[in-house]
Amino acid sequence: MTRAWSWFFSMVAAGAFALLVGIFAWQSRPVWSHEGWRYLTGANWHFRQQEFGALPMIYGSAVVALVALLLAAPIGLGAAIFTAEYLPRPARLAVKALIELLAGVPSVVYGLLGILLLRGWIYDLFARFEPLSGDTLLTAGVLLAVMILPTVVTFSDDALRAVPATQRRAARALGLTRAETILNVTLPQARRGLASALLLALGRSMGETIAVFLVVGRQDNQLPAHLLSLRPLLEAGQTLTTKLGGSETHIAAGDPLHWAAIVGLGLILLVITGGLTVLGTTLGRKSDA
Amino acid sequence: MRKVTDFALAGFAAICAAFALAVLGGLVVVVAGRGASALDVSFLTGEMQRAGAAGGIFWHLVGTAILLVSAFLICTPFALGLALVERVWWPGERGRRFLRTALYTLNGLPSILFGIFGFIVLVQWCGWGKSWLIGGIVLAMCMLPTVTLALVERLRAIPARYLEAAAALGLDRAQIILAVLLPQAWGGLISGSLLGLARAAGETAPIMFTCTIFAGATWPQGIKDNPVLTLPYHIFILAQDSFDPAVGARLWGAAFVLLALVFLLSLLALPWRLRHHEEADV
Repeated sequence: MTRAWSWFFSMVAAGAFALLVGIFAWQSRPVWSHEGWRYLTGANWHFRQQEFGALPMIYGSAVVALVALLLAAPIGLGAAIFTAEYLPRPARLAVKALIELLAGVPSVVYGLLGILLLRGWIYDLFARFEPLSGDTLLTAGVLLAVMILPTVVTFSDDALRAVPATQRRAARALGLTRAETILNVTLPQARRGLASALLLALGRSMGETIAVFLVVGRQDNQLPAHLLSLRPLLEAGQTLTTKLGGSETHIAAGDPLHWAAIVGLGLILLVITGGLTVLGTTLGRKSDA
Repeated sequence: MRKVTDFALAGFAAICAAFALAVLGGLVVVVAGRGASALDVSFLTGEMQRAGAAGGIFWHLVGTAILLVSAFLICTPFALGLALVERVWWPGERGRRFLRTALYTLNGLPSILFGIFGFIVLVQWCGWGKSWLIGGIVLAMCMLPTVTLALVERLRAIPARYLEAAAALGLDRAQIILAVLLPQAWGGLISGSLLGLARAAGETAPIMFTCTIFAGATWPQGIKDNPVLTLPYHIFILAQDSFDPAVGARLWGAAFVLLALVFLLSLLALPWRLRHHEEADV
């Protein structure tokens, strides 16, 4: 009885998640046959002209997530080194518990703080570059950095703790200082786990919707003229998630092609975040095997 | 020179950790500082009036509670079933590893995808319209990996000698599950569910297309076309288009209540998690 019951619920759950993936693939078919690969590489999205190019959204998601990772990685890694290598066990658990509280803060609250504080700070700080408003890709990236910081800290701390204590003791016995032990022994041995932490954090930041929605400006069809310039960071943009979360999802529901284009954004997001998470999880597993 | 490096790394690490904690502290101070003035009993027990410029958040609290309770009830049997399949019924290590990887991957999926999924399948195909039950189902999907993984970890931590003793007494696997595994895993289910609920309580993306509206809902009278008001969506809408200072104070009050709710759920899970950490490390 218990067995049949366990399998029944597991199968229903597996079926629901399989249906999720299937629906995103199946419902987006019309846009793939309408646009082909141009759906991924096209720079223009004008749904009234039935023109659907997702590149600006992919670009927006990537830029926002990379800014977040660039800011959160060093700080998160530093904090993880502190909790894993310097703090005694009770203090480490306490600090970790507090940092995990930070991970639980709802994204809509982060968004609210972004609107209230961050938007103004970014606008003032970069006033001499004359941004049109405080709603920029950079604002979204900085806000996301704060949001993924707990993820980076927790997973990096786990990765560092997975390095056996005997390795540290041996290094200290050889006369290495604490810093030398960390830099030459612990960090290299934990590198797979740390890479995994960063990949998982990158996946999280690509998938975040609400906080980014409130501060990114949601400006369609924004692609930078020069790839190497930092100026485009101070412009409003649109990401995959903010497009999905916007009012266009309601407008699209009546028109099969437009709807397919919206669902297709979900499929792209599903593939990117799913890929990052699978990669991060498998990398992380080998490090502690 | 070596001493300098030693000191510098320790200092850098300490500053980073202090920064992370300062962000947490600053966030709480800002939200509490702006929200506390709106908080009183009538704010918690009153209906919203004038689109958030007056009145309270009573029905938002009710709606969020309805969603959390239904998500918990829907999620629990699936989490138990999946965890038991992973620990007991699935033959072979490779299948288990696949299942765990699948769970981690689902855990990393953006919650907006679950919202769109619920919108396609339940709102449109099943024709339920916006309904509190869709919210419960979608949030249950969001939290299922978290709860299952917590349960699996907890089941793994049960000492093998318990299982051996039960088997030696002649219990079959179903009896071992009922007599040994489930009583021991109870804490894992609770702490995992609390963590999952803490995340679900603050989610906006999965519920905004499926179960919540801005104004005009009270107790659901049925399933079809019975949306609820929720705290996160309330904050989300007001944050976008409100410049009225009267709304501002109430907006921050609502954010403060939501933050307190989420922290409360995470903190309730803490004792179980700390105990589990200790057992696992020894």
